[in-house]
Amino acid sequence: MLSGVFHGSILFLVSAGLQVVFGVQKIFNLACGSFYALGAYVGVSAVGWYVGAGGPPALFIAPLAVAGLAVGAVGVPVERGLLRFVYDRDETFQLLLTFAIVLMMEDAIRMTWGTSPRSTSGLYLTYGRVGVLGTTVPVYNLIVIGASLAIAVLIGWLLTRTTFGWIIRASADNREMTEALGVDMRRLHTTVFTLGTALGTLGGALVIPATAAMSEMGIELIVEAFAVVVIGGLGSMRGAFVGALVVGVLRSIAISVYPELEMLLIYLIVIAVLVLRPRGLFGGPPA
Amino acid sequence: MSGRLVLALALGATVLAPLVAPTYHVLLMLPFMAYAVALLGLNLLFGYTGLVSFGHALFLGVGAYTGAFLTSVFKVRSMEVILVAAAALGALVAAPVGALCVRYVKIYFGMLTLAFGMVFYTFVLKFYRLTGGDEGMPFLRPTLLGRSIEGLPKTDYLAGPYYYYSLAVLVLATLVMWRIVHSPFGLCLKTIRDNPTKAETLGIGVARYRWCAFVISAVYAAVGGALLGPPTGNVDPTLAYWTQSGNIVFMTLLGGFASFFGPVLGAFVFIYLQDWVMSVVPFWRLIFGAILAAIVIAAPGGLAGLWVRRPSVEASSS
Amino acid sequence: MRTTRRSFLRLVGAGAAAATVRLDAPPAFAQAGHPVKLGVLTIRAGIAAPVGAAGLRGTEWWLERVNRAGGILGRPVQLVVEEESNPKDTVERYRKLVLQDKVEAVLGGISTGVTLALGPVAEDLGTPWLSWDGTTQKGVEETMPNPRWAFKSVDNEVEAIVAGMLTARHFKGIKTVAGIGNDYSYGHDCWQAYQAVLKRYTPDVKFVLELFPKLGVTDFTSHLAAIQQSRADLLMCSFWSGDATIILKQAAAVDLFKTMKGAFTTAGGVHDSLKKNFTPEGLLLGYNTMYFDDPKGSALLKQFVREYKAKYAEYPPYECDHAYFCAESYKAAVEKAAAGSTKWPEKATVVRALEGIEVESLSGRRSWREDHVHMCNFYQGITTHKNPYDFVTIDPVEVVSTKVAMKPAGTKLFDWINSWKI
Repeated sequence: MLSGVFHGSILFLVSAGLQVVFGVQKIFNLACGSFYALGAYVGVSAVGWYVGAGGPPALFIAPLAVAGLAVGAVGVPVERGLLRFVYDRDETFQLLLTFAIVLMMEDAIRMTWGTSPRSTSGLYLTYGRVGVLGTTVPVYNLIVIGASLAIAVLIGWLLTRTTFGWIIRASADNREMTEALGVDMRRLHTTVFTLGTALGTLGGALVIPATAAMSEMGIELIVEAFAVVVIGGLGSMRGAFVGALVVGVLRSIAISVYPELEMLLIYLIVIAVLVLRPRGLFGGPPA
Repeated sequence: MSGRLVLALALGATVLAPLVAPTYHVLLMLPFMAYAVALLGLNLLFGYTGLVSFGHALFLGVGAYTGAFLTSVFKVRSMEVILVAAAALGALVAAPVGALCVRYVKIYFGMLTLAFGMVFYTFVLKFYRLTGGDEGMPFLRPTLLGRSIEGLPKTDYLAGPYYYYSLAVLVLATLVMWRIVHSPFGLCLKTIRDNPTKAETLGIGVARYRWCAFVISAVYAAVGGALLGPPTGNVDPTLAYWTQSGNIVFMTLLGGFASFFGPVLGAFVFIYLQDWVMSVVPFWRLIFGAILAAIVIAAPGGLAGLWVRRPSVEASSS
Repeated sequence: MRTTRRSFLRLVGAGAAAATVRLDAPPAFAQAGHPVKLGVLTIRAGIAAPVGAAGLRGTEWWLERVNRAGGILGRPVQLVVEEESNPKDTVERYRKLVLQDKVEAVLGGISTGVTLALGPVAEDLGTPWLSWDGTTQKGVEETMPNPRWAFKSVDNEVEAIVAGMLTARHFKGIKTVAGIGNDYSYGHDCWQAYQAVLKRYTPDVKFVLELFPKLGVTDFTSHLAAIQQSRADLLMCSFWSGDATIILKQAAAVDLFKTMKGAFTTAGGVHDSLKKNFTPEGLLLGYNTMYFDDPKGSALLKQFVREYKAKYAEYPPYECDHAYFCAESYKAAVEKAAAGSTKWPEKATVVRALEGIEVESLSGRRSWREDHVHMCNFYQGITTHKNPYDFVTIDPVEVVSTKVAMKPAGTKLFDWINSWKI
């Protein structure tokens, strides 16, 4: 169960990035998985550098998170250099452009970090372990779950209590109207896309101590993030949260009860949701 | 030069290719022709109906696995039987899948097709006792028009009889598709694409037409998938992975979805370009990603659209 | 429609013209001292990319040595490297190497799915194909018992067989076993073979859980929870890539190996990443067919490890030696077939010379069995932290030959295992 929640909290970060972008720009960003992979690789490098420079191991999470967030800045050139050209195009073109980004990022990562699996050695266990509900859990997992919850709350606060959130929600509902009210859409798009990217890269960075960065790890994740947002409902933050939990926990239950099902179960749920309730659990009306 | 003349020349070149071109390039025409068939179908959905499927690898997979099952499990070697069976199974699978998918448009349609594609992929991978899992299944050399050509080395078989067989299937598929898109049915599809509400008021059953287009496109993809099998001699789940669905949409866009022959051109350019780029640089995905991005941003009409800028390209894409 | 069709056709014409120009241009190097061209297929992307990289590095190291020493029969060797990806594309690349680049032989091939498709193609094209790590076995049984041109790797399941033997030797008293492997043929075949072998040595052993996560999964916390619940005495795991690192790390996080033994049949493929702080001592660990730190290793191995480390800042995994052997045995066979003359032998003569040939390879002597199967030693042992590295090594080092652990030509795997006298 708890293992499913850990996986779910990483999925939440990536899908939250997907949702915030879809909410405003109406782009289904396939490259979210690539940003996740990028965050993972950068996280490994940052921690490697940090440990090499003699930083205390107990604080490794700081450079990790900072690097994860900072590399989210790659969202700026991607949005300015590519995506902004296709806002008024058909969704298909937007989707394909993000597919192009997936292809390019895959090779860019390979050119930079090579193909060997990269990991952060044993830092994972720096914070020790605790017994929860009769099983042993690394404290790091709990920190990530906590961080992800905190981010969820932060995003919720941002969306519902701040002017920025008001603008985002307004432009998600009615782009022209928001623009007419004097909002600089150009800056908004860049900001939102970078925010979405940073959530993905942060997810990648945070997961890395518990795993290893591998070639094509992003391509695998896209499909899961896709399931999350479909189940939760496109564009909905609450949906990303619940969807990530559902996918994470269901997968973990399937593995212990009937391992053969695993991902098949997730896809079947995705289809059931799409057929019965295409808006997902929390989505707006279908386009 | 008139269009007919160029078409005749291209066909002539294709017919003569096995006699003059290097064998390897002749063999590369085989996946081109198989994809071309599949793309003609995909474009009925994409270019003519305005629905973009991100799960059509599912039907490529259905066609390819049909051939593999028939040749290696049921000992049926006739390519005609394989093609008919692939088409029938493609339609059989597409009927319910399509019925569910065409209730939605745009991104929801795309997502639903993607999900169905992944279910099929996971199925063939998981049930390895039935499907061979990742190892796939052998697609044994089929007989053509009832003639067994076992004596011929595989390369000669592929570059000779099988080449012309594929070409014949492609020409036939093209003629049928040409009739379909120029029939009243095809016109209705275009009306639906441009203005579904108007189509509804004109008395066109939008959902039913979309469903028909979906099933026809699936039949084409399944036939294409079956044609894809013999050159490799083995079919495997990567044929049905979502990136494969992405690739065939890429090919369509590369050639130009707004024209009848655009996707065929796209398949041709994609395959030869990939062959060339892969030999030159190890990082061919980067180059292909950049090409795709450039097309999406600067030339949404694809290569065919570059030649003649038609206002309808922009119209149908916005 | 008319205009569009015309535009398409014009493009086809242009494309065809461009293609023709390219075809007619003669390769620039054809005149330069008539090098021998060898095709290499290697995986560049995805989970098996490190394996592909190691194979290519092993081949390149061989290439430098051979060319420094004057090439093969006085001709310099040139590699034409192509990417191994999915079966369809790789079959096309193979045809390109043979038909277009006119290579003398093709080296490489790692994934079973791909090599199953390559086998018949190699036979048809009549050019020697020396596979690094791919068999033409469907499941555990051979699909091409009498190949003429294809030379196949060791059977996939040999390391599981070796691990089964060594489990019985090193972990006496094991009653229950859980297994985890990747959800594809290699994972399933290894698990089947391992069970069959272990059952021969300890008939009352129970197999209580089997898990097959999809290849490429990077989170095994749920799987580990299920493994813990199974309360097995031993976990058998056939992961060989980054997933081996990940599962060890995540297993350490839940203290799995405090209570459980472990047999990692193939994790030595990513030995550099099995750091001491999460990989415990006392596990059975398999290095496949080359152990970089072999105390009995030859001077050739020591030189290779030293130079590899200097160049890539890593220690070489086994795939280097599969690749080295394929290239080196090809060279030896050409020289044998030429029988003293400098005339380049026919491909068919080279193939006959390859059958049964034995050469010195990095990890020791290796050979091609008469039925075109790669023969060599497997290295497994018990993990230890007593070494100068930050990752685990093994001590003692158990060396098991394929003569003992691989099914003989013409036999069926499980019949053969069940015929053992123990």
